[in-house]
Amino acid sequence: MADRNTFRLMLLILGVVFAFLYIPISVLVGLSFNEGGLPTAWTGFSTKWYGALLENDDILKAAGNTLIVAVFSTLLSTILGTLLAVGVEIRRRNGKWLETVIFAPMIIPDIVLAIALLSMFSLMGVKMGLHTIIVSHVVFNLAFVCAVVRARLKSFDWSIVEASADLGGSTLNTLRRVVIPVLMPAIIAGALLAFTLSVDEFIIAFFTAGAGRSSITLPMQIFAMIRFGVTPEINALATLVMSVSVVALALSQRLNKGGLPGQ
Amino acid sequence: MSDAFLSIKDVNKTFGSVRAVDGVSLDIHENEFFALLGASGSGKTTLLRMLAGFEDLSGGDVVLEGASIAALPPNRRPVNLMFQSYALFPHMTVAQNIAYGLEMDRLPRAEIKTRVAEILEVIQLGHLAKRKPDQLSGGQKQRVALARALVKRPKVLLLDEPLGALDKKLRSEMQLELKRLQHEFGITFIVVTHDQEEALVMADRIAIMRDGGLLQVGTPQDIYEAPGTRFAADFIGVMNFLPVTAGDQGFVARDGSVILADRVNGTGGAIAAVRPERLVLGDRGQNTLRGTVTNTAYHGLDLLLHVTTRLSDAPVIARMTAELADTLRPEMGQEITLSWSAKDTHIFPA
Amino acid sequence: MQAPVNGFLMSTDRRPMLLMTPALLWLFGLMVVPCLLILVLAFFRRGIYGGIEYTWTFENIALVFDPLYFQIFMKSAGIAGLSAAIACVLGYAAAYAIAAMPRRHQPLLLFFAVLPFWSNYLVRTYAWIVLLNREGLIVNLARWIGYEGELPSMLYTEQAVVIGLVYNYLPFVILSCYAPLSRLSPEIAEASRDLGGSAWTTFRRVTLPMTVPGIATGFVFVFVLSIGNFVTPALLGGGQFQMIGNLVYAQFLTANDWPFGAALSMVLIAVMLGLLMGQAVVAERASGGKRAPDG
Repeated sequence: MADRNTFRLMLLILGVVFAFLYIPISVLVGLSFNEGGLPTAWTGFSTKWYGALLENDDILKAAGNTLIVAVFSTLLSTILGTLLAVGVEIRRRNGKWLETVIFAPMIIPDIVLAIALLSMFSLMGVKMGLHTIIVSHVVFNLAFVCAVVRARLKSFDWSIVEASADLGGSTLNTLRRVVIPVLMPAIIAGALLAFTLSVDEFIIAFFTAGAGRSSITLPMQIFAMIRFGVTPEINALATLVMSVSVVALALSQRLNKGGLPGQ
Repeated sequence: MSDAFLSIKDVNKTFGSVRAVDGVSLDIHENEFFALLGASGSGKTTLLRMLAGFEDLSGGDVVLEGASIAALPPNRRPVNLMFQSYALFPHMTVAQNIAYGLEMDRLPRAEIKTRVAEILEVIQLGHLAKRKPDQLSGGQKQRVALARALVKRPKVLLLDEPLGALDKKLRSEMQLELKRLQHEFGITFIVVTHDQEEALVMADRIAIMRDGGLLQVGTPQDIYEAPGTRFAADFIGVMNFLPVTAGDQGFVARDGSVILADRVNGTGGAIAAVRPERLVLGDRGQNTLRGTVTNTAYHGLDLLLHVTTRLSDAPVIARMTAELADTLRPEMGQEITLSWSAKDTHIFPA
Repeated sequence: MQAPVNGFLMSTDRRPMLLMTPALLWLFGLMVVPCLLILVLAFFRRGIYGGIEYTWTFENIALVFDPLYFQIFMKSAGIAGLSAAIACVLGYAAAYAIAAMPRRHQPLLLFFAVLPFWSNYLVRTYAWIVLLNREGLIVNLARWIGYEGELPSMLYTEQAVVIGLVYNYLPFVILSCYAPLSRLSPEIAEASRDLGGSAWTTFRRVTLPMTVPGIATGFVFVFVLSIGNFVTPALLGGGQFQMIGNLVYAQFLTANDWPFGAALSMVLIAVMLGLLMGQAVVAERASGGKRAPDG
């Protein structure tokens, strides 16, 4: 790429694409601090819309629910996903069916999974609530954690496991002092990813939350609010929700250089 | 025989239909620097891993100081392995890596500290104790891997191609260093290598392996001066091979001349062999040949002449010292006569 | 001979299964079984009061192919295809540009290109509502520069849905196109130039063919994710607008015809699986062809 002009063209392309990607979000963030709240005019910097959020009981409850769901589903999926990843990588000979089943939760359309779970729960007569959301979120979360940990395991030097054995380490010691510590950045990255996905997830939560108002998550709340139209509170809420994701993802990236699936 | 320090008794290893190690029996002495020498696929690495405990024996036994260790898992054998890839724990510092084995032995912390410090002194890496493996050079990593195994004072230290990843100069230095360490620690070393020069320099005794079996065992001098098979003769050092047929007075070369030989191996001699350094200029020896210099290879210490003759397809290689080369100044295309004695001639079957 | 204590971590047989079982059970019970359930449900009939009448029937499947619904399938496919195509063009261009930047900047650029992808997709879609609606930013900007006339409604249109889908999935395409582009050795392009090719020819006949797998992956994934999408058409398309995702949603929530919703989902999955398998076959052929013999 020795050409000056080509380089300028490349910069232009990057400029256009990044503008496309970031202008909508930036507008949202900007408006959330707009005193007037509406895109008609900028009336000054204010955090009052964020304040309004704190007054809104529905939103606070939803936020609390989302946190509960995210924490528990992350915990469960991190453990299950890590064990799955280690097992799969040790086992080397894995059939196509196994790979498909592990891969499936990431590509199945979420609405299909949502209605499938709803059907099963109602057919079984299970009372739905936060617990059913948690259990449903684990389904796709564990697949993502597994993918992240597996990616790390592909470049894992198994000779250190032999070295540990050679130096006198038992299976437990080897796992505890060699395998898990080396995998830890990937495990945490996977956990952060699962947390973020759970916090942002809407449709599965929507279908598996049940009828009551007590198990509404934040995305469900946001969806309901959007249905009524654009308001400054939504802008503020949206900005907050996005920041959580961004922070979690940045941390995850730092910990596990390029450990996100696809990178 | 059976009170050798480490006795490998008729050991076999089969992978599916492949016999990786085939009936190997070997006695290794205490405090010996032993080398398992062979090309890839010769079974040497498999044998080493069986000694370490990472491969089960398909047959045979391994006896250390009178007791069989074949059934012991690797973490319970008084044998330690220095891995070819070093296998340093990436998340631990140099000091922690070295301490690991001692922690597995449940030694008191104070003693661990002392022993780690001692060995860091020996390998001269005290100043890098707090570094992580990815901050070390290849040579430094190698020394840490060595120290990690040595610090446990195993009865036997196994080394898997220890110098393979180092550059030439470092390799030469480390060959001598390993020899010195083995002597200083008084531990039996078993090194696996494909580099015959390395084996010759470092080992007290060498075992040549081929296709899973032992070809020859002996001191470096034995193996170099008296290779028992054509393969060994070819594998170690440089050797000239001249096709011959057995005759009444000696062995008849391609040009009809008779070659006298003292070291006859096997029956039906078909190949005569002589080392380059045993060939001298002139026709005063028992065996003579004439040819043309078709190539010269300068090696600083000496000069190797490639001489095309009627006695073999490949050129005969003769070694000339630097001083002689200076005086005589051999040139390409020059006619030359070389001779050597019967005591330096080996005969091998086809 | 007994297995060494550490055989556990180095074995190829039963012990790893132990580690895998909990997760596999979970996936089986909460993904495979529910999906099979949906498969079966499609063959039952909607009960009079909205429940499920357990009579075996094919009418739901037949209904899916009824012109009314089939048309919706076609429209969804069209929108998904268009979105995928646009995303691929933009995504490839962006990936190419990133790969053209100095090596040390690339990871950072890539990170920022992909970051939006991991934020809440409701929020991302909502951002376009803010931009496009009657009182939205774009309208206000236009007014600000003096445009007086009536602006066509940009929200609640097919175009808005396409923009929304492209916006949501563009980062993924950038990622999937970047992978083969970054692996390309610069010497290949140099060889092409050396042999007389122009920049455009080099691109067309060397670079592009060698990086097609990335585009293919991107296209298939965007298509698959778009065709089953619910949120974007619901929010940006408005009440009248129906894609398959909205249809299924409606069956389960308002029309209360679960069996029909199940039938729709089934067909959706079938289409998806077909595409994914096709892509896998193409990918295997592409990588199989490129493998050089050893030594």
